[in-house]
Amino acid sequence: MIDLNGLTVRFGGLIALDAISARFEDSVSGIIGPNGAGKTTTMNVISGFLTPKAGSVMVDGVDLVAMAPHRRPRWGLRRSFQREQIADDLTILENLKSLADNLPGNRAARRADVDAALEFVGIAAMAGRMGATLNTYERRLTDLSRCLVGRPRLIMLDEPAGGLTVEESAHLGDIILKIRDFCPAQVLVIDHDVDLIARICAQTLVLDFGRRIAFGPTAEVLADPSVKAAYLGIEVEHA
Amino acid sequence: MTRPMNTPLIAGLGAAILAAFVLPMVLGGQWTGIFTSTACFAMAAMGAGFMYSRLGMVSLAQVALMGVGGWVTLRLNHAFALPFEANLILAAIVTSVLGMLLAIPALRMRGLYLALVTLMVAGGLEVVFTAYQFPNGGTGFWGVGTSFAAEMRRPVLAKGDGAYLTYTLIVAMLGLLLIMAHRKTAPGRAWALIRRSEAAAIASGTNVTFYKTWAFGLSGLLAGLGGGLLAGSLGLLDASSFRASESILLFALVIVGGARFWLGAVIAAVLYRVAPGLLNNWGVDADLALIFFGAALLHAVTTAPDGIAGQIIGPFHRKEGKA
Repeated sequence: MIDLNGLTVRFGGLIALDAISARFEDSVSGIIGPNGAGKTTTMNVISGFLTPKAGSVMVDGVDLVAMAPHRRPRWGLRRSFQREQIADDLTILENLKSLADNLPGNRAARRADVDAALEFVGIAAMAGRMGATLNTYERRLTDLSRCLVGRPRLIMLDEPAGGLTVEESAHLGDIILKIRDFCPAQVLVIDHDVDLIARICAQTLVLDFGRRIAFGPTAEVLADPSVKAAYLGIEVEHA
Repeated sequence: MTRPMNTPLIAGLGAAILAAFVLPMVLGGQWTGIFTSTACFAMAAMGAGFMYSRLGMVSLAQVALMGVGGWVTLRLNHAFALPFEANLILAAIVTSVLGMLLAIPALRMRGLYLALVTLMVAGGLEVVFTAYQFPNGGTGFWGVGTSFAAEMRRPVLAKGDGAYLTYTLIVAMLGLLLIMAHRKTAPGRAWALIRRSEAAAIASGTNVTFYKTWAFGLSGLLAGLGGGLLAGSLGLLDASSFRASESILLFALVIVGGARFWLGAVIAAVLYRVAPGLLNNWGVDADLALIFFGAALLHAVTTAPDGIAGQIIGPFHRKEGKA
């Protein structure tokens, strides 16, 4: 269970997050909202890049805010970024190992974890390829498999389907839905692809200008008139 | 997971071993000395090269750190009766620790600002070296006497100049293998991730502070070894060899040679030490080398980002699909 309790973040005079509370109980949940709504800020607080002015992040009874950012992966936190973070001069395997290196356990166990993650995502056959040779989708899959290494408790994916085609995005959604069979981690997904969110997320939090405007079962939330006005309306203007 | 054999590396190691034993036999007296110091500077160049190519950090203090290694080696040599190896290892450790202290500002700074900090350190060391000179067997802490020329002990196995060149080349090769070993293990992966993005590194649980400090320590270690071996080769060191401008020149040549490749460090050191010697032999002012270096740097920056080594080795890597 992920329990955000009164999270508040200010950048100077700008209130980036205004007392956000939400309790995610399902295995895959989503955070949506227009650009600048505070989605990535929320993720940055959970992963420790930002210290909130107030509030707590309780995951399975542990307050993450008190933990140093580079210790959170050891505890079980994984995240991806809007821009995938694959090192070009490492192979896929080495990219995963770079995370496994920082986890507890002996070498053989960590190697087995890496292999399991590669196998699960379906990129084990190309694990020896250099990061520089990968296309957008292969990079996204590598990023996702890196999030599955070890025993993750909380996986946060920041726009995992960014830059992907409809088919690729659907395939990625399938993999994310199957994570619950792979490990007991909870998954939080940020994305602009409402179809993807509607398909894979049981619960969704909607943010706008740093405020929570809706939270609950995804279908209900997406039907909420205030969400349509704030989010889908703007989305339609873009399209 | 088996990797394709690294052809250029194996060829390089073979050539280096051959060079270590053949060069001393064919070179004349003056050139034996020049190649020995080339190997010393190659060690410092390797340190600058891997820091730049793996972490994107510019260190402009490598030659100054060689001075530190040389100073400690001479100081220990004249103060105690320890064997050369002990002096060399202690000098490398001291230089490595100094390198790690250098890392403290690096933890907060990047790019140009970090380069400037390392340059200031090089400048500071230049002042110290110029003011106090290098120990030559005199008394006191600084160990400098006016008319001393105390003996510099060399390794038992390598008393003669030829044998000493072999010795130096072997140490340089070990230094190279040390860097290569890092590349394939946890520190190398952490460095690659840090260079990609520090945020991604932190999100992967990498202790960025620790691995950056480690990189500075390793590059300091290599500079210290180079400086200590140079002291053993020459017996006396001169402050003018370790000016801050020398550190900048060596870094520029690392870019010309190719920071990503081991061959780049060798090319950098050859340009640094051999090119001026050649010009001298041909009766041309050795300072002209600077003009050639400037042109070569311009060429590297505009058309060959991987340097001369990249142009030589690059095609092999592409063929193996690992470019």
